[in-house]
Amino acid sequence: MPEVLVTVHLFASLREAAGTGRIRLRLPEATPVGAVWGHLPEPVRTRSDPPDGMRYALNHEWTLPGAPLRDGDEVALVLPVSGG
Amino acid sequence: MVALSSIPLDLATLVQAATDPEHGGLVTFIGSTRRESDRRPVRTLVYEAYEELALRELQAIAEEAAARFGARLAVAHRTGRVPVGEPSVAVAASAPGRPEAFAACRYAIDELKARAPIWKQTEFADGQTTWLDGCQDREHGHWAEEGAPGEGQGPLPRASVRGGRPA
Repeated sequence: MPEVLVTVHLFASLREAAGTGRIRLRLPEATPVGAVWGHLPEPVRTRSDPPDGMRYALNHEWTLPGAPLRDGDEVALVLPVSGG
Repeated sequence: MVALSSIPLDLATLVQAATDPEHGGLVTFIGSTRRESDRRPVRTLVYEAYEELALRELQAIAEEAAARFGARLAVAHRTGRVPVGEPSVAVAASAPGRPEAFAACRYAIDELKARAPIWKQTEFADGQTTWLDGCQDREHGHWAEEGAPGEGQGPLPRASVRGGRPA
Protein backbone atom coordinates (compact mmCIF):
# COMPACT_ATOMS: atom_id res chain seq x y z
CA MET A 1 0.00 0.00 0.00
CA PRO A 2 1.37 3.44 -0.88
CA GLU A 3 2.48 5.59 2.01
CA VAL A 4 2.24 9.27 2.80
CA LEU A 5 4.62 11.43 4.79
CA VAL A 6 2.85 13.79 7.19
CA THR A 7 3.91 16.27 9.85
CA VAL A 8 2.20 15.96 13.23
CA HIS A 9 2.03 19.08 15.41
CA LEU A 10 2.04 18.47 19.15
CA PHE A 11 1.31 20.84 22.02
CA ALA A 12 1.38 21.03 25.79
CA SER A 13 2.05 17.68 27.51
CA LEU A 14 2.25 15.81 24.20
CA ARG A 15 4.93 18.20 22.98
CA GLU A 16 6.83 17.76 26.24
CA ALA A 17 6.57 13.98 26.05
CA ALA A 18 7.87 14.02 22.47
CA GLY A 19 10.59 16.54 23.20
CA THR A 20 9.56 18.39 20.04
CA GLY A 21 6.54 20.22 18.69
CA ARG A 22 6.45 18.36 15.39
CA ILE A 23 7.21 14.86 14.29
CA ARG A 24 7.15 13.29 10.85
CA LEU A 25 5.28 10.06 10.35
CA ARG A 26 5.12 7.71 7.40
CA LEU A 27 1.59 6.30 7.28
CA PRO A 28 -0.50 4.20 4.91
CA GLU A 29 -2.24 6.39 2.34
CA ALA A 30 -5.67 7.68 3.42
CA THR A 31 -5.06 6.95 7.11
CA PRO A 32 -7.78 8.92 8.93
CA VAL A 33 -6.68 11.84 11.07
CA GLY A 34 -8.22 10.17 14.10
CA ALA A 35 -5.87 7.17 13.74
CA VAL A 36 -2.69 9.24 14.05
CA TRP A 37 -2.70 8.77 17.83
CA GLY A 38 -2.11 5.05 17.40
CA HIS A 39 0.99 5.74 15.31
CA LEU A 40 2.68 8.09 17.77
CA PRO A 41 5.91 6.86 19.33
CA GLU A 42 5.31 5.02 22.60
CA PRO A 43 6.66 7.74 24.94
CA VAL A 44 4.24 10.28 23.46
CA ARG A 45 1.14 8.14 23.78
CA THR A 46 0.29 8.49 27.44
CA ARG A 47 -2.55 5.99 27.05
CA SER A 48 -3.92 3.64 24.43
CA ASP A 49 -6.76 5.93 23.30
CA PRO A 50 -6.67 9.66 22.68
CA PRO A 51 -8.00 11.69 25.60
CA ASP A 52 -11.70 12.58 25.64
CA GLY A 53 -12.35 15.81 23.82
CA MET A 54 -9.42 15.56 21.43
CA ARG A 55 -9.92 17.65 18.30
CA TYR A 56 -7.97 17.65 15.06
CA ALA A 57 -6.72 20.20 12.58
CA LEU A 58 -5.54 19.53 9.06
CA ASN A 59 -3.29 22.14 7.45
CA HIS A 60 -4.26 24.59 10.21
CA GLU A 61 -8.02 24.23 9.85
CA TRP A 62 -10.38 22.22 12.02
CA THR A 63 -11.21 18.83 10.63
CA LEU A 64 -13.04 15.64 11.65
CA PRO A 65 -11.37 12.41 12.80
CA GLY A 66 -12.41 10.63 9.62
CA ALA A 67 -10.58 12.98 7.25
CA PRO A 68 -8.04 11.01 5.17
CA LEU A 69 -4.39 12.06 5.21
CA ARG A 70 -2.59 12.94 2.03
CA ASP A 71 1.10 13.28 1.34
CA GLY A 72 2.56 16.45 2.84
CA ASP A 73 -0.37 17.12 5.17
CA GLU A 74 0.16 18.87 8.47
CA VAL A 75 -2.05 17.40 11.15
CA ALA A 76 -2.41 18.83 14.66
CA LEU A 77 -3.61 16.92 17.71
CA VAL A 78 -5.58 19.49 19.71
CA LEU A 79 -5.91 18.36 23.32
CA PRO A 80 -8.72 19.77 25.48
CA VAL A 81 -7.91 23.46 25.81
CA SER A 82 -7.35 25.57 28.93
CA GLY A 83 -6.66 29.12 27.77
CA GLY A 84 -8.01 32.23 29.43
CA MET B 1 -8.15 42.96 16.19
CA VAL B 2 -6.97 39.64 17.61
CA ALA B 3 -3.49 38.96 18.93
CA LEU B 4 -1.22 36.53 20.73
CA SER B 5 1.51 38.24 22.70
CA SER B 6 4.59 37.03 24.51
CA ILE B 7 4.92 40.40 26.25
CA PRO B 8 2.47 42.11 28.65
CA LEU B 9 -0.86 42.95 27.03
CA ASP B 10 -1.29 46.56 25.93
CA LEU B 11 -4.78 47.27 27.24
CA ALA B 12 -4.94 50.82 25.89
CA THR B 13 -4.32 49.53 22.36
CA LEU B 14 -6.98 46.88 22.86
CA VAL B 15 -9.58 49.45 23.95
CA GLN B 16 -8.65 51.69 21.06
CA ALA B 17 -9.05 48.82 18.61
CA ALA B 18 -12.58 48.14 19.89
CA THR B 19 -13.62 51.78 19.92
CA ASP B 20 -16.18 52.91 17.36
CA PRO B 21 -17.73 56.39 17.16
CA GLU B 22 -21.14 54.78 16.52
CA HIS B 23 -20.88 52.77 19.72
CA GLY B 24 -21.93 54.23 23.06
CA GLY B 25 -20.74 51.44 25.33
CA LEU B 26 -17.46 49.56 25.69
CA VAL B 27 -16.89 46.64 28.07
CA THR B 28 -13.55 45.06 28.92
CA PHE B 29 -12.76 41.74 30.52
CA ILE B 30 -9.30 41.04 31.87
CA GLY B 31 -8.36 37.58 33.09
CA SER B 32 -5.34 37.37 35.35
CA THR B 33 -3.16 34.68 36.86
CA ARG B 34 -4.42 33.68 40.32
CA ARG B 35 -2.18 33.23 43.31
CA GLU B 36 -3.63 29.79 44.06
CA SER B 37 -4.77 26.81 42.03
CA ASP B 38 -6.34 23.76 43.65
CA ARG B 39 -5.55 25.45 47.01
CA ARG B 40 -1.84 25.36 46.23
CA PRO B 41 0.35 28.41 45.82
CA VAL B 42 1.20 29.21 42.21
CA ARG B 43 4.47 30.71 41.03
CA THR B 44 3.58 31.37 37.43
CA LEU B 45 1.44 30.17 34.55
CA VAL B 46 2.82 29.24 31.16
CA TYR B 47 0.56 29.50 28.12
CA GLU B 48 1.17 27.67 24.86
CA ALA B 49 -0.86 28.37 21.73
CA TYR B 50 -1.26 26.57 18.44
CA GLU B 51 -0.66 29.95 16.92
CA GLU B 52 -1.94 29.52 13.36
CA LEU B 53 -5.23 28.03 14.47
CA ALA B 54 -5.60 30.09 17.67
CA LEU B 55 -5.47 33.32 15.67
CA ARG B 56 -8.06 32.00 13.24
CA GLU B 57 -10.30 30.88 16.08
CA LEU B 58 -10.04 34.22 17.90
CA GLN B 59 -10.88 35.97 14.63
CA ALA B 60 -13.88 33.69 14.11
CA ILE B 61 -15.11 34.36 17.65
CA ALA B 62 -14.73 38.11 17.18
CA GLU B 63 -16.69 37.95 13.92
CA GLU B 64 -19.43 35.86 15.52
CA ALA B 65 -19.78 38.36 18.34
CA ALA B 66 -19.86 41.21 15.84
CA ALA B 67 -22.63 39.52 13.84
CA ARG B 68 -24.72 38.56 16.88
CA PHE B 69 -24.49 41.76 18.86
CA GLY B 70 -23.49 44.44 16.36
CA ALA B 71 -20.28 44.77 18.35
CA ARG B 72 -16.69 45.61 17.59
CA LEU B 73 -14.22 43.29 19.32
CA ALA B 74 -10.58 43.21 20.25
CA VAL B 75 -9.11 40.07 21.82
CA ALA B 76 -5.58 39.37 23.02
CA HIS B 77 -4.03 36.41 24.82
CA ARG B 78 -0.58 36.03 26.35
CA THR B 79 1.79 33.22 25.50
CA GLY B 80 4.76 32.04 27.53
CA ARG B 81 5.26 32.78 31.22
CA VAL B 82 2.68 34.97 32.95
CA PRO B 83 3.56 35.73 36.59
CA VAL B 84 0.86 35.79 39.27
CA GLY B 85 -1.28 38.93 39.07
CA GLU B 86 -0.59 39.74 35.41
CA PRO B 87 -3.30 39.69 32.75
CA SER B 88 -3.27 36.55 30.63
CA VAL B 89 -6.25 37.44 28.44
CA ALA B 90 -8.17 40.59 27.60
CA VAL B 91 -11.33 41.27 25.62
CA ALA B 92 -12.73 44.67 24.69
CA ALA B 93 -16.18 44.90 23.10
CA SER B 94 -18.05 48.00 22.05
CA ALA B 95 -21.63 48.19 20.81
CA PRO B 96 -24.30 50.84 20.22
CA GLY B 97 -25.74 50.13 23.67
CA ARG B 98 -24.62 48.74 27.01
CA PRO B 99 -26.47 45.38 26.97
CA GLU B 100 -24.98 44.35 23.62
CA ALA B 101 -21.50 45.42 24.71
CA PHE B 102 -21.69 43.29 27.87
CA ALA B 103 -23.17 40.37 25.94
CA ALA B 104 -20.51 40.52 23.22
CA CYS B 105 -17.68 40.66 25.75
CA ARG B 106 -19.12 37.72 27.68
CA TYR B 107 -19.64 35.73 24.50
CA ALA B 108 -16.06 36.26 23.36
CA ILE B 109 -14.35 35.27 26.60
CA ASP B 110 -16.60 32.22 27.08
CA GLU B 111 -16.03 31.00 23.54
CA LEU B 112 -12.29 31.67 23.76
CA LYS B 113 -12.00 29.52 26.86
CA ALA B 114 -14.01 26.72 25.29
CA ARG B 115 -12.55 26.73 21.78
CA ALA B 116 -9.24 28.51 21.30
CA PRO B 117 -6.31 26.07 21.00
CA ILE B 118 -4.37 27.50 23.92
CA TRP B 119 -3.11 25.53 26.93
CA LYS B 120 -2.13 26.49 30.42
CA GLN B 121 0.65 24.97 32.47
CA THR B 122 0.60 25.75 36.16
CA GLU B 123 3.96 26.02 37.84
CA PHE B 124 3.43 25.65 41.56
CA ALA B 125 5.59 27.26 44.22
CA ASP B 126 7.13 23.85 45.01
CA GLY B 127 8.35 23.51 41.41
CA GLN B 128 5.80 20.93 40.27
CA THR B 129 4.28 21.69 36.87
CA THR B 130 0.86 20.64 35.55
CA TRP B 131 -0.53 20.94 32.04
CA LEU B 132 -4.29 21.35 31.87
CA ASP B 133 -4.84 19.47 28.64
CA GLY B 134 -6.82 16.32 29.37
CA CYS B 135 -3.79 14.01 29.56
CA GLN B 136 -2.52 12.27 32.65
CA ASP B 137 1.00 11.38 33.54
CA ARG B 138 1.41 7.74 34.46
CA GLU B 139 3.67 8.36 37.43
CA HIS B 140 1.52 11.07 38.95
CA GLY B 141 -1.88 9.89 37.86
CA HIS B 142 -3.19 9.63 41.40
CA TRP B 143 -2.67 13.30 42.12
CA ALA B 144 -4.17 14.23 38.77
CA GLU B 145 -7.31 12.20 39.50
CA GLU B 146 -7.74 14.02 42.77
CA GLY B 147 -7.26 17.37 41.03
CA ALA B 148 -10.00 19.07 39.01
CA PRO B 149 -10.81 21.83 41.50
CA GLY B 150 -13.88 23.01 39.61
CA GLU B 151 -13.94 26.60 40.83
CA GLY B 152 -17.63 26.90 40.05
CA GLN B 153 -16.90 27.21 36.33
CA GLY B 154 -17.80 23.69 35.33
CA PRO B 155 -15.38 20.80 34.93
CA LEU B 156 -11.76 21.62 34.25
CA PRO B 157 -9.71 19.49 31.90
CA ARG B 158 -7.83 16.64 33.50
CA ALA B 159 -4.35 17.57 34.53
CA SER B 160 -1.12 16.01 33.39
CA VAL B 161 1.56 16.39 35.99
CA ARG B 162 5.30 16.36 35.57
CA GLY B 163 8.33 17.06 37.67
CA GLY B 164 8.36 18.68 41.04
CA ARG B 165 8.86 17.04 44.37
CA PRO B 166 7.53 13.50 44.87
CA ALA B 167 4.21 13.41 46.69
